[in-house]
Amino acid sequence: MLIVRGLTKIYGDHADTRAGGVRDFSFELPPGTFFTLLGPSGCGKTTTLRCIAGLERPDAGQIRIGDATLYDSTVGTAVPLNRRGIGMVFQSYAIWPHMTVFENIAFPLRVAKDRRYNREEIRALVDQSLGTVGLSGFGDRPATRLSGGQQQRVALARAIVHKPRLLLLDEPLSNLDAALREEMRIELRRLQQQIGLTTVYVTHDQAEALAMSDLIAVMDHGRVAQMDEPRAIYFRPANEFVARFIGAANLLHGTADAPTGPGDLGSVVLDDGDRIRCVFPAGGAARSAVTVSLRPESLVIGPGDCQTDAASNTLAGIVVGCSFLGGTARYDVRVKQRILRVTAPSDVTFPDGTPVHLTFALDSAVVVG
Amino acid sequence: MNIAAADPRVIIAVVVGGVLVALMVPPLWMLLQDSVTTTDAFGDVTGLTLQHFHKLVIEKRALTSLVNSLVFAAGSTVLSLLTGGALAWLVERTNAPLKVLAYLVAIISMGTPYVLHVIAWLFLLGKIGPLNDLWRQVTGETGVLFNVNSMAGMILIEGFLWSPLVFLLLGSTFRAANADMEEAARMSGASVFDTLRRISLPLAMPSLLALALFVFIRAIGGFEVPALVGMPGRIYVLTTDVYESTVTVPPDLGHAAAFSVVMVVIVAVLLAFYGRLSKNAERYHSITGKGYRPRPFDLGRGRWIAGALIVLNFVVVLLLPLLTLAWMSLLPFLRSISIAGFASLTLKNYRAVLTAPGYIGLAVNSLIVAAGAATAIMAITSLAGWIAGRNGPGGRILDQLATLSLVFPGICLGVAVMEVWLRIPLPVYGTLWIIGIAYVIRYMPFGMRYIYSGVLQLHRELEEAAGVAGAGTMTTLRRVVAPLLTPALVAGWLFIFLIANKELAIAVLLASPRSQVIAVAIFDQWVNGQGGELAAFGLIWTVLMTIIATVFFVFTRRGGVDVHGN
Repeated sequence: MLIVRGLTKIYGDHADTRAGGVRDFSFELPPGTFFTLLGPSGCGKTTTLRCIAGLERPDAGQIRIGDATLYDSTVGTAVPLNRRGIGMVFQSYAIWPHMTVFENIAFPLRVAKDRRYNREEIRALVDQSLGTVGLSGFGDRPATRLSGGQQQRVALARAIVHKPRLLLLDEPLSNLDAALREEMRIELRRLQQQIGLTTVYVTHDQAEALAMSDLIAVMDHGRVAQMDEPRAIYFRPANEFVARFIGAANLLHGTADAPTGPGDLGSVVLDDGDRIRCVFPAGGAARSAVTVSLRPESLVIGPGDCQTDAASNTLAGIVVGCSFLGGTARYDVRVKQRILRVTAPSDVTFPDGTPVHLTFALDSAVVVG
Repeated sequence: MNIAAADPRVIIAVVVGGVLVALMVPPLWMLLQDSVTTTDAFGDVTGLTLQHFHKLVIEKRALTSLVNSLVFAAGSTVLSLLTGGALAWLVERTNAPLKVLAYLVAIISMGTPYVLHVIAWLFLLGKIGPLNDLWRQVTGETGVLFNVNSMAGMILIEGFLWSPLVFLLLGSTFRAANADMEEAARMSGASVFDTLRRISLPLAMPSLLALALFVFIRAIGGFEVPALVGMPGRIYVLTTDVYESTVTVPPDLGHAAAFSVVMVVIVAVLLAFYGRLSKNAERYHSITGKGYRPRPFDLGRGRWIAGALIVLNFVVVLLLPLLTLAWMSLLPFLRSISIAGFASLTLKNYRAVLTAPGYIGLAVNSLIVAAGAATAIMAITSLAGWIAGRNGPGGRILDQLATLSLVFPGICLGVAVMEVWLRIPLPVYGTLWIIGIAYVIRYMPFGMRYIYSGVLQLHRELEEAAGVAGAGTMTTLRRVVAPLLTPALVAGWLFIFLIANKELAIAVLLASPRSQVIAVAIFDQWVNGQGGELAAFGLIWTVLMTIIATVFFVFTRRGGVDVHGN
């Protein structure tokens, strides 16, 4: 169980960049959780990870694994990084080129301070670890003769060989090519569930985060924009930033018609006059200005004029752009003065200039702020 | 139309190649010829002989010199690597305080002539120096605690001379190292010491070995310390043997040439090894991470010990020699440091230096010849380096020609250039020109190195885009390549300018009373016992050169140019 409270670490000394870091971040992870820190570069996700690892010293806050306090600014506790019992995979893998695969993985056992491992134990643990990552028989290879994917596996084997309490992964897939990345995504998740290790994962790739995580924290400028499970992050973005960052949502501005309770459906008059019904996750007062998020793939495109229907929203528009993407097609549809992005099946085509209507379920439109 | 003939690069390659051949080949040829021929009083060849080499083999002294050279070079290499290397690691990879002091040492050392440093050390450790003085006062003995004119003294002083350069070069190695490698070890549970021993050191080992060999080669060819420290103690190495057989009357040039050939062969073999080692060193650099930010080790309480070491280095390598020079410059005659001495402090020496026309002329001479040589080198290497870096016609040959003079220890090159220009009926010998020519030959490889790596950093497509846009080769060179190479050009120029003013070995045989340069003048004055004025002049000169060294340092740091020149 990882507990982080009020974690703050601010970099202000770089003249060429804006002050980075993380501010007042708290979370608790039940054992075995796959937790992802997601956000654009400079959002503080890597800083958070490095603070947990002990590679950076936080300005303030508390970090605990179970009963063991790793860092506490109030009482001045700071366990050195090599005593934290954490496994970590680096973005560059950091496979030591002057050692064999075996020696790379055996290293944490050889330098262990809490107990001595004899030769047989080391061999057994390394072999087990190699087997876990699917590299049995690779032990004698020089580390310089590995492909990117193999290096990644070796780095993972090294991180788990000494049975750490926590696994940290710093964008481990970003140096792999696209096909391998998808394969490793599934593989990593499978391994994590098999070992049952609490894992903190840092990435800027939303697809990775959604596919692998139990829990996601979307970060922006050092603060948590939303922390929730993947489906909630996707379907109920808490604010404009999350809606925009995950899944490139269409954002519509308007005014709430009447007071609406949290989680209820309410009616919104858009700025250009159309009226739609949508979900108010946090409720809203009458006449309050709202922003509605609308996923491109929740919009269904159809020919001709509007057919109004109480069970769904409908907007009329004209196709102004169309690109064929293989399995899907992307349309830009002008609705009044606004261009909406639509993802649709590619079997029917609507050429530019075609009048169309867009239909979408009431609960697929979400007020985000 | 024949395309190859129309390629202006061929014309450039031929012209530059011709210049390089004219500069590089004659000295080498002359050394070889002199070492296997007998000559008459006019320097004309009278016959072939192996007597010079024979003499080397049968003379016991030659063997002694060779062994001395090897011991001297090995000892000073180890010392400079230990001190400079430890310092570089502390400064670049830990959170030790007072790092700026280490840079201060490196920058000021870059601007100080070697010979001046050596003189300061001679005084510090010498018979009347504070070390032996203190020992006498404490123990009541009359002798010395430490005889500086010994192999130990030579190694100590040479080691301190090289330590700042080792610091700079290893510093850039440590800076470029992937910090993830060390952090991964720490995350695996290793202590700072374990990480250093099992990860940092093995990873830096190829670079360390290459650098060690490099310092060793330079120390084999070193002249200042053997001449000023060794010779008075009758300890000879190869370079001082060459020097002695050249300046004795009558000069035994055949002997000097044979000695030089031996040294050139040794250096050439070592250089071949060096080439291999540095290739090896690059192998470990292939795997790097992204988003690099320097992440120093936290030494905990140890940081204050580290800080103390940095201060110690500052005091020993920089402050003590400078204070010694200041003391020497403020006294009317050389005497040991004492309370009584303070009473006789005077600015007389400074007055003499600043008013005598000789010193001003000397400074102007040195500046002109160093600037001229640096300019000529950068002009030649900017073309040669561009062709070589782009695998143009004859690129490899140009590269090898330009770096040929690496095999010459400075003193041997002095002998060779002297020999060449004694035989050419142009009034060059005895003027500044011959010193300038020797500088150009000697420092050409450094210029080549700066330009070559500068060209490799330029994306080839920048030139191809200019070509597609309709620019010819010359226009591309002038409008695209030259402006983008400016940082490398300026850095190379400054580096050559600084080192030319620093080294003594080449110019010592070529300077005449009418054509003096700084290092030689300081050397002569010390030999003639004019310590006060030379110290005053040397300090003023050091201030001037330190300003230029600072410009160089700031420039290369900001422009990201590789400092690995020397």
